[in-house]
Amino acid sequence: MLSVNESAGAKLATEAPTLEFQEIQATVLRVRPAPYFGTHVLLRIDNAQAGRDFLRRVTPHVDSAAGWWAAANAWLAIGISYAGLEALGLREDSLRSFPEAFRLGMAARAQHLGDEGVNHPKNWDLPFGKGQIHIGVSVFSDSEEKRRRTLNLAREQYDASSGVSVLAMQDFGAQPGDLNPLGYKDGIDQPTIEGSGVESPPGYGRPIKAGEFILGYPGEAGIPLPMPHPDILGRNGTYVGLRKYQSRVGAFNRFLRANANTEEERELLAAKLVGRWRSGAPLTLAPVVDDPTLGADAKRNNNFDYSDDPRGRGAPFGCHMRRMNPRDTQLSRLTDVNLHRVIRRGTTYGPPYDPNAMSEEADEVPRGAYFLFISAKAMATIEFLQQEWINDGNFIGIGDERDPIVGLQEQGATFTIPREPVRRRVHGIETFNVLRGGEYFFMPSLSALRWIGELG
Amino acid sequence: MQTQVQKATEPEQNSVVEQKVQKLRELYADAPELGRAALERGLPNLKRELAAATGMQNAGRIGARQGKVSELTGIIPFAKGGAKRLRGLLQALEGNFRGGDAVGTLHDMRFVFLDNDTKLLFATAYDGEWDAYIDDFVTKIPDAMDLLFCNIEGWPGIHSPSVKDFIAGHQIAAEAWYVANPNLTVVETRRLEQIGKAADEFLDKVA
Ligand code: HEM
Repeated sequence: MLSVNESAGAKLATEAPTLEFQEIQATVLRVRPAPYFGTHVLLRIDNAQAGRDFLRRVTPHVDSAAGWWAAANAWLAIGISYAGLEALGLREDSLRSFPEAFRLGMAARAQHLGDEGVNHPKNWDLPFGKGQIHIGVSVFSDSEEKRRRTLNLAREQYDASSGVSVLAMQDFGAQPGDLNPLGYKDGIDQPTIEGSGVESPPGYGRPIKAGEFILGYPGEAGIPLPMPHPDILGRNGTYVGLRKYQSRVGAFNRFLRANANTEEERELLAAKLVGRWRSGAPLTLAPVVDDPTLGADAKRNNNFDYSDDPRGRGAPFGCHMRRMNPRDTQLSRLTDVNLHRVIRRGTTYGPPYDPNAMSEEADEVPRGAYFLFISAKAMATIEFLQQEWINDGNFIGIGDERDPIVGLQEQGATFTIPREPVRRRVHGIETFNVLRGGEYFFMPSLSALRWIGELG
Repeated sequence: MQTQVQKATEPEQNSVVEQKVQKLRELYADAPELGRAALERGLPNLKRELAAATGMQNAGRIGARQGKVSELTGIIPFAKGGAKRLRGLLQALEGNFRGGDAVGTLHDMRFVFLDNDTKLLFATAYDGEWDAYIDDFVTKIPDAMDLLFCNIEGWPGIHSPSVKDFIAGHQIAAEAWYVANPNLTVVETRRLEQIGKAADEFLDKVA
């Protein structure tokens, strides 16, 4: 069992928590176990009655976030797409009260997300992008045995409801060392949520207002974000975005070899792209050589900001981590960095990262991440991130350069590494993680799940 | 330059240009004599411009964009007493917009008082999208926004969820718009300025 204390050196807050934990789905707050084992199941509802029947059966098995910091280590999460809410027979006025980008779905928003070229929905894997995915069920657990048991629990419920079909199943996790598909320790930093009952560990930044992540609470601007109607449907719910990435491990390794001569140099270059060594040790704290003990130490591996690295000599301005959370970096555009945070629940699938895979075939071995992100405004946030922080460099003063890990790269893309006396510009950056699917889900509160189940 | 002209005179391009010229001749048929004459005399140069591909795109919901630079133009009635307050505020600022510097995307801003101080013409050129950053304005510079724009009729306040619709509703898309350096953002221009200065200092030293 992984408690928050162990995972990040967090302390229970002295102030009373203010969130309605018993209403909020567990996944919103529970930390992904390490090691982790899980499965995503994508379902289609073929008739409304059957869909609601399934929800009524499954909801008693969906965990709430009550006591999340010391809670069980296997759980189910449920998300419903807009097409799913329609298929479940929600009334027109409820349907209309959802934000436009959610109603259209991720594929239809491709232009706003910059999902063009190889990332365009027409190149996505089935069943993505066809408006068929109605419900996503995810199992998270800390052992293979519990994963199977929890999945069976979910399966019994949808098997019992004829009229609910399985479109796809994807196991995830179970990676040696819990590394992500490019071989990095991942899932270290998360935003701390105000009122969640846990104090911000050192380095994690000030707590963010709960309304940024859960509907019905004040956000950073002091007011709650717009909520779908009626109140029981929206309150304590949130949105989850799913983006399925295929990791082109061969291309990534070829890039590293072409631009670094020794294994040490390759590891440093790999660290420069992310801002952390593969061990998790941040470059701001370990700028020259890796420090695996630091990387593994949850109390220290996120305890930094960029005040000692204003020129990017440690963590380059363009590295993935500094883009995705610039912390106190002086940005070129007026930005409130606390408005663009997401709770990340990245889930790695496929065979583990292989540092010796060099071939083009290795690029297409099914392997990558179902990247899940949670926010009360997930659609607006991912569009912002894609446009401003991933596929552009203007906000941090590096012109046209894009995120070297998740950016969609153009021919001749570069990555600049600030150095003394002159910067190094690395060529040959490619789209190392290709988008192969995506969808938006509403993650209703437990009361809302029951309410939907009782409709009609 | 030479190659561009070369490209523009390929046969199919040619006929498109001829069609455009034909259209202009029709449009100018009822123009004053000097306008018609100017069209004929200027044709060789004009044809070259007609053959060049358009650089205009749409900026976000409304407005035009050239490369990385977008334009926003609006004509909005003043609130009661708004013209007097805004003029006073602008005069007190003496053209000093430090807040604008901090935004990091504003190339220019223009405040023109129209029709006996009843309406404001607001025009600006800026980088990228404004609506992606509206939430950042809300938490970072709400007072600067409300101080300026409370003077126009119907301003819902920067905190209002309807503020995006309000702005877009008053925008008038420019029919045409010229940008000399469409690929230079404000940030990039500042960076190049610094590099230029550093290069000059270096050259001064070695010379
Ligand atoms: C397969 C694709 C991806 C890979 C391989 C990857 C890799 C990583 C790694 C190694 C870290 C550092 C570990 C940590 O601080 O937790 C990280 C952090 C992060 N990534 Fe990703 N990532 C991927 C996709 C994405 C996407 C699509 C987004 C957002 C849209 C994203 C957002 C973040 C954020 C917000 C952080 C934390 C930065 C911080 O708070 O300092 N990542 N990622």
